[in-house]
Amino acid sequence: MLKEFVTGLSKVLDTIAGLCMVITMALIVINVILRGIFNRPILGTYEYVGFLTAVMIGFALAYCAVQKGHIAVGFIMDRFSTRIQAIVNTAMYGIALTFWTLTAWHLGNYAYRLSVKGVVSPTMQAPFYYFIYLVAIGLLVLCLVLLVELIESIKRAAVAR
Amino acid sequence: MTSLYTGLIGIIIFFIFIMLRMPIAFAMAVVGFAGFSYLVSPGAAFSMVATEIYSVFSSHTLSVIAMFVWMGFLAYYSGIGTRLYVFAYKLVGHYSGGLAIATQAACAVFGAICGSNTATAATMGAVALPEMKKFKYHASLAAASVAAGGALGVLIPPSVILIVYGIATEQSVGKLFMAGIVPGIFLMFLYMAAIAILAHHNPGLAPAGPRASWKERINALQGGLGEVLIIFSISMGGLFAGWFTPTEAGAVGAAGVLGVALLSKRLSWEGFKKSLVDSTRTTAMIMLMVAGATIFGRFIALSRIPFELATWAGNLPLPPSAVMGVILFIYLILGCFIDALALVLLTIPIFFPIVVTTLGYDPIWFGVIIVMVVAMGVITPPVGMNVYVIKGVAPDIPIEVIFRGIWPFLIALAICLIVLVAFPKIVTFLPDLLFEI
Repeated sequence: MLKEFVTGLSKVLDTIAGLCMVITMALIVINVILRGIFNRPILGTYEYVGFLTAVMIGFALAYCAVQKGHIAVGFIMDRFSTRIQAIVNTAMYGIALTFWTLTAWHLGNYAYRLSVKGVVSPTMQAPFYYFIYLVAIGLLVLCLVLLVELIESIKRAAVAR
Repeated sequence: MTSLYTGLIGIIIFFIFIMLRMPIAFAMAVVGFAGFSYLVSPGAAFSMVATEIYSVFSSHTLSVIAMFVWMGFLAYYSGIGTRLYVFAYKLVGHYSGGLAIATQAACAVFGAICGSNTATAATMGAVALPEMKKFKYHASLAAASVAAGGALGVLIPPSVILIVYGIATEQSVGKLFMAGIVPGIFLMFLYMAAIAILAHHNPGLAPAGPRASWKERINALQGGLGEVLIIFSISMGGLFAGWFTPTEAGAVGAAGVLGVALLSKRLSWEGFKKSLVDSTRTTAMIMLMVAGATIFGRFIALSRIPFELATWAGNLPLPPSAVMGVILFIYLILGCFIDALALVLLTIPIFFPIVVTTLGYDPIWFGVIIVMVVAMGVITPPVGMNVYVIKGVAPDIPIEVIFRGIWPFLIALAICLIVLVAFPKIVTFLPDLLFEI
């Protein structure tokens, strides 16, 4: 139940990430054309591309983890029994889950501090703390994926016994 | 405990984590954070982690990676790899070893559009292996030639590893791209020569195929292939001429490939969606690794390891070339175990100051050299990524058989490396010529 929900949620975020990629590409190309032909670049393209890329990456992290896309070295652990693998995986997922949950929390905190101070981007004077919140949300969903994996490896460790 | 020891213990814990199958990006971030917390304070470490993650993810400079990755997957899903291969083998397929030689040329060109060595190996593996099987090529040579050829893409621009190296060391990405071209083409010719020699000595390894007419050859260029090559030239040419930033070159390339694929009706809606899913996954993987390496790098810098190591290497009673040899050897060994991109990210803060500041080597040359060394790691046991990719495409070929066929290509790579170390001008003359006018 939790697994289906988390996978579905990460897919939704990944679709938004894909949309960000298309918009980023279109924005850059339109800017190149307007600058090259009409000498009228879109003001703030540089900043918008940064914001969009941040959301794209943040929202793609969870589904990347669902697809086991984050590169890991498996050839040593593959030699051990299923039970040992499950126990080690439990420890690794536990560490990763703790770290990324705290990081997501501190990213949210960072965004909050910027919003209180009224920090804006240099060119467009845009308040960019929204995008930091979005990255924090992406990290939280990554944490949910790790939680599902943690529960599954605990189950595997128990069954292998 | 001194900061130096903390740094060393951090590096050891990092290796333990990755051996225990923690994703490399996670291990770098966790250890970097823990070390920074110990040396400064947990509060400062969390602040650093939050700022670094957002600044890497929102970096305009790094957004170039997303654009080139997407351009590659668009090319992949619109079948450009297949058509490149067909064109190449219509040209040389009638020679003994011709199909494997054609594979090298197709890999080099597709690697140029794509920028990812695993995607290149997967594409070419799916296309070239069935053809080579049909013409009774030995499985070992066939599989190894695709695995090795796939790695040509790390040298030929746009290369994700060169982009990351350029950003990490504040070198011009355009110059690095330019510097990779000649070594990439040279390596391709060495691979072709290795295949030709093998086929000459043992024609049974790689029998000749049928000869194609010139009409067939010209026909093979149609259906969008020519247009894609033009788009690639505009994207790279614009970058080298200074019209585009690297990110713009990537976006223009992706838009161009998308346009051609749609107009020639080569890309389905499914293919388009898949290209986006694959690109967001690959980009997220790369960017999280860059963020992890940045966090780890902050800790390593604080531990003073790079500084101490550079001072120590500078005082060694050895010529710079010997120190360089030792460094390359370390890369070669680590490259067998760690992913190429992670290795470059991880070691740059440690070795770059020694090689460039203390020993006085050219930073652009060093970039190309380490990319070549890590490319060796991509095809050597036990974790040669490309070999596993080929195994995934052709499950009937045992992994040992593929590794056995890799030897001639490793020798070609070693020759290429020796030549580039002995004659650094081969790497630097093109960027020097074009960027210093």
